[in-house]
Amino acid sequence: MIRKIGVPVGALTATLWILLLAPDFAAAQGFWAKDSPKVPMAPTWMREKAQLPPYNPPRTPEGVPDMQGFWGGAGGDGAADLEDHEYMDATTPSHETFISDPPDGRVPYTDWARARHQEIRRGLGRGWPGESGPRTHGAPRSLCLNSMPRINVDGGQEIIQKPGMLIIVSSMGWHRVIYTDGRPAVGGKARFWFGSSRGRWDGDTLVVEVTGNNGRGWFDTAGNFYTANTKFTERWRLADANTIDYSVTVEDPTIYTRPWTMNFPKRRPGTGRRNIGGLPGATSGLPSRVEKDVHAQEVWEEACFEGNHENTITQKELGFKWFGGVTPPTK
Amino acid sequence: MKRSLLGFILILAAVAALTPIPLVGQSSYTPPRTREGQPDLEGIWQAVNTAHWDVEGHNGSLGVPPGHSVVEGGLIPYQPWALQKRRENFEKRAELDPETKCWLPGVPRATYMPHPFQIVQTNDKVMFMYEYRSWVRYVWMNGTPHPEGPIDWFMGDSRGKWDGNTLVIDVIHLNDQTWFDRAGNFHSEAMHVVERFTRTGPDHMLYEATIEDPKVFTRPWKISMPLYRRVEQTAELLEYACPAYLLEKEWNDPNSNYFRQR
Repeated sequence: MIRKIGVPVGALTATLWILLLAPDFAAAQGFWAKDSPKVPMAPTWMREKAQLPPYNPPRTPEGVPDMQGFWGGAGGDGAADLEDHEYMDATTPSHETFISDPPDGRVPYTDWARARHQEIRRGLGRGWPGESGPRTHGAPRSLCLNSMPRINVDGGQEIIQKPGMLIIVSSMGWHRVIYTDGRPAVGGKARFWFGSSRGRWDGDTLVVEVTGNNGRGWFDTAGNFYTANTKFTERWRLADANTIDYSVTVEDPTIYTRPWTMNFPKRRPGTGRRNIGGLPGATSGLPSRVEKDVHAQEVWEEACFEGNHENTITQKELGFKWFGGVTPPTK
Repeated sequence: MKRSLLGFILILAAVAALTPIPLVGQSSYTPPRTREGQPDLEGIWQAVNTAHWDVEGHNGSLGVPPGHSVVEGGLIPYQPWALQKRRENFEKRAELDPETKCWLPGVPRATYMPHPFQIVQTNDKVMFMYEYRSWVRYVWMNGTPHPEGPIDWFMGDSRGKWDGNTLVIDVIHLNDQTWFDRAGNFHSEAMHVVERFTRTGPDHMLYEATIEDPKVFTRPWKISMPLYRRVEQTAELLEYACPAYLLEKEWNDPNSNYFRQR
């Protein structure tokens, strides 16, 4: 979100940013026609990665796989709606599910949780089929509030590795330090939007346990939620030189009948591969003007929250309520 | 008697000459180097002072601890109209301080917020990761110039270089939507900040910032303060998601003014 600082400069900033990471950012803000082919996501990636030869990545001086550099996001519609769906509107095209397990690609909610999710969906105010009744909640992301694991759907992240830690820095103004030195998570009663992350290497896969989540974020913009009891387990693995196989397993027996997993690739920008639906293998097509710009590889400020006040007022005036998480019934 | 006194004085002088006395902005301490061969400023650091309340010397008040000035010379050299504005800012600070809106704190305030920050160095940039707002400031170290304006960012545009073991950062393109502290000390969008970060020991760093803003001040002025390494085993940046806390409070408050301010 570009702060309203005057059209010419805002447009310049937006243009450079969009061109720098065109495949991911532009796609997340993209528009699709009703008959666009289904955007590939988890099922297509599962098939594609099964065909890949084993990959032995370069290593850092500490001897672990070197994942450093800039990485794009999942592409597609930026997780408008987590599960497989047909065309809903111009920004929510026909789209494969982000969920690789269970095989049906649906969130395995308990009955109580599914009813709660449907209630939220009915009040999203998106003009989607099935909406009825009062407004429920706007997506936390629409208020510039980020959470795990949704932020990994976004691109614009740089990974830096140092002894005992893997650092992820985002152009959208957040950072994660994933300690791999064996220290315990924050623990106790502390609950965070991004949780508390602790990683360890399992062969060439970085396994990150994320606990201490506050349950206030969504997986998408369609009201798919978790709770303050939820644990995320991420797996980061280089599938080839320019691709990370990213998955996150979600565990929470208070609202799901079983653990479930999201899975998609993250690609290095400018490597000629895009995740945009219907166009696998297309080049990223960065214009040469940007390549010659000395600032082309830079990340510039995007002050989402500062520029979002009008939008926040509107959301409240439209009757949306604050999403403070869900409280499942105790058994 | 005289000879031994003279001898004593000479010995004292010799010892003093051999004992390094750090000059302002320099240090006799030689920090280790990063893998890329740069002075190593990495780690988790925090200011321990009352600058975030008021960069000038001030007495205590309810909830506000007293503190010495971090401004060299004591007081900020405001132009007369600006001194009046600072007074108004102070009186209405509960409503005017951008920190109460959870906005980004700008430079140099981000350095001395009551939260740690982490410095991470790569071959072409230095990153300041702040616990406050989980924000990241990039300092570009590859000799590139500031982009052309007009640009106004909360955290400005930072270009850095090494002066011996000191990291020198030049910051422009700051907007006028940040304060220096909670006491109404302010600047315009013309502000130019030059920061210096100098390791002075294994767990200490000297932070200096020179402020230039001909629209508001009569001359450049400077702040300086030590920064302390967070040495506990559990030291890490946690999360201070100010906007989330603020939105939750205001959304659920029937008497909130927040949504009427456009």
